[in-house]
Amino acid sequence: MTDPGALNTYLPTLVRYVLVMIGIGVIMLVVYRVQLALGIKREAATGRTLVMPWLIGFIVFNVFTIGASFYLSFTDYNLFRAPEWVGLENYQELFDISFGTLESRDQRSSDVLARRHDEIIRVEIGDGGFVIGARNDSFWRSMRLTLLYAILSVPIGLAGALGVALLLNQKVKFLGFWRVLFYMPAILPTVAMLLLWRWMFSQNGIINSLTFPIWRLTSGEAPRWFTDPQLALPAFIIIGLWGVFGANSVILLAGLKGIPTDLYEAADIDGAGNWAKFRYVTIPMLSPALFYNLVTSMIAALQLFEVGAFIQTPESVGTFVNWLIYQEAFTLRNMGMASAMAWILLLIILALTALIFRSSSVWVFYQGAREERA
Amino acid sequence: MTANIATQDRLLNEPAPSQRRFHVRQVLIYALLLLCAAIVLIPFLWMISTSLKTQNQLFTGRVNFIPDPIVPENYITVWDRLNSIRPGMTFWRIMGNTLFITILAMFGEIFSASLVAYGFSRFRWRGRDFLFGLMLATVMIPGIVTRVPGFLIWRELGLLNTYDPLTWPSLFAWGPLYVFLMRQFFLSIPRELEEAAIIDGANVAQIYWYIMLPLIRPVLLAVGVLSFQANWNNFQGPILYLNTPEMFPLALTMRFFDQSLSLEAPQWQYMMAMATMMSIPILILYFLAQKQFLEGINVGAVKG
Repeated sequence: MTDPGALNTYLPTLVRYVLVMIGIGVIMLVVYRVQLALGIKREAATGRTLVMPWLIGFIVFNVFTIGASFYLSFTDYNLFRAPEWVGLENYQELFDISFGTLESRDQRSSDVLARRHDEIIRVEIGDGGFVIGARNDSFWRSMRLTLLYAILSVPIGLAGALGVALLLNQKVKFLGFWRVLFYMPAILPTVAMLLLWRWMFSQNGIINSLTFPIWRLTSGEAPRWFTDPQLALPAFIIIGLWGVFGANSVILLAGLKGIPTDLYEAADIDGAGNWAKFRYVTIPMLSPALFYNLVTSMIAALQLFEVGAFIQTPESVGTFVNWLIYQEAFTLRNMGMASAMAWILLLIILALTALIFRSSSVWVFYQGAREERA
Repeated sequence: MTANIATQDRLLNEPAPSQRRFHVRQVLIYALLLLCAAIVLIPFLWMISTSLKTQNQLFTGRVNFIPDPIVPENYITVWDRLNSIRPGMTFWRIMGNTLFITILAMFGEIFSASLVAYGFSRFRWRGRDFLFGLMLATVMIPGIVTRVPGFLIWRELGLLNTYDPLTWPSLFAWGPLYVFLMRQFFLSIPRELEEAAIIDGANVAQIYWYIMLPLIRPVLLAVGVLSFQANWNNFQGPILYLNTPEMFPLALTMRFFDQSLSLEAPQWQYMMAMATMMSIPILILYFLAQKQFLEGINVGAVKG
């Protein structure tokens, strides 16, 4: 593509930006007038009018696109020819999974799996074990990596954040300074930080230099973090934790500061120790903030995209599933298959979120509810 | 607070051993905080340190934070290198692109989110809570689900490889989180203020502009910083919609540079110079607005 020049790229967009803004204003005015003409109260009419920008965007950018994506997931579409309806074929290919039992540890996975299937999970028990394979192994390997990443990094990150928040809540000096510092990694550009971490984890990088005594004694060879299937996931978790634990701890700290002190005084009078106070006052009172953090971090972890673009992993590890779907759609131009993959991811996110929400009635404690009962 | 004072009183009244424990505790707390600070700072300092090194200083295997000699020229050379790969990708052009996208999208997000949050918080109407719940639920939708059809829409409109998909959709309040944060803030404003203004004959636009906006200034600033950094760092949008390298924002330029250099020996000093340059504007903004920013983002967590 040749460069049309800076002004030729900025100006048309700027003009359309202003036109869209005027358009939204006109629509809002019309919606308002129509409601008044229908005899709707001024207050209700104003409220509805004000949320119009979001509602229009929601219908066009969410409802319509999600519907279109659902339709495309049943088609074969490469951008050049019209979408061709293939029914469940995409899903059938994705869910073409086979299962094999290993008779000995040396047996190759490919011997016990269906033809053209590759291993996604191999479990060795005693002398034997079992293998799960799939036709579209790269999708399931990436799904495995993404889910393992989310399931491991989110709880570890939350526990770490809680620990730091408790530290900061101990009447420390220069609280403002610590808060600003700990939040900083979350504000830095993901893209820049991914390159930085790739450099730090590279073979001659600072991490291998710092851990030199450890690997020298154990294996004698510098670890290759992103090419070693055993080490890729831990490296990703370290990167992810660095990015969020400080920010989460600042948010949890605000929750800690909001716990009324009379609760601790009451616990003191009852002779509660530190652990009892933590377990029966801090945790329940903080549970709404923990819940909020858990939900948002889980969703964010399952939507990671940039990592795949900047850090290459071997095929046996897979990549982050959002990046894989992007490549399926825009590099391989299998729009139909990519949509099917995206839908499976969407359903997994919805299921996990629903699970967290269902569990919340057991462990999340809302003060309002307590006061109502009292 | 009172609990801490109570603890302190108890500790002060008790004899020496527990007082020593008190000191040990303090030392331990600060040691742990310093450890966390080191974890946060070491990668960051390593980025800056690398950006000031020569190629020979990179692979010594030793951890040297202070380069000798220091080569600040890397910050200029990196753009010369980029220019030699693709003439036209100058510092000013790439910065201009990034700022253009960031400012338009940020303005759109703040403006529309404040209107929508106002509508969701200060007025009673049927269907309000349902729609608000629906809006929050959209955060669960992975961007990738809407990307394929989104791409097709922009292709139909003939707006691929323009800045349109990255800028004006922000006018439709595309960030539910921002609406949520602002709504929390609006809810905390006493209703009497509005009622007094209505009695004085102010209309909705006037109340919004002269009463509401000044009152929610802290959260506007917080959302502004969040939005600035999200758009400045945005990678998923640009990689999908832009394919002329001269039009790239910084995030995409970094990938372009990374991929062009990957055939040669890794030149981390240049990559890190670019990474540092990309981080500086955000850091400045963050440090300037840190007080209001940290206050603003916490509103959601405490009441959410």
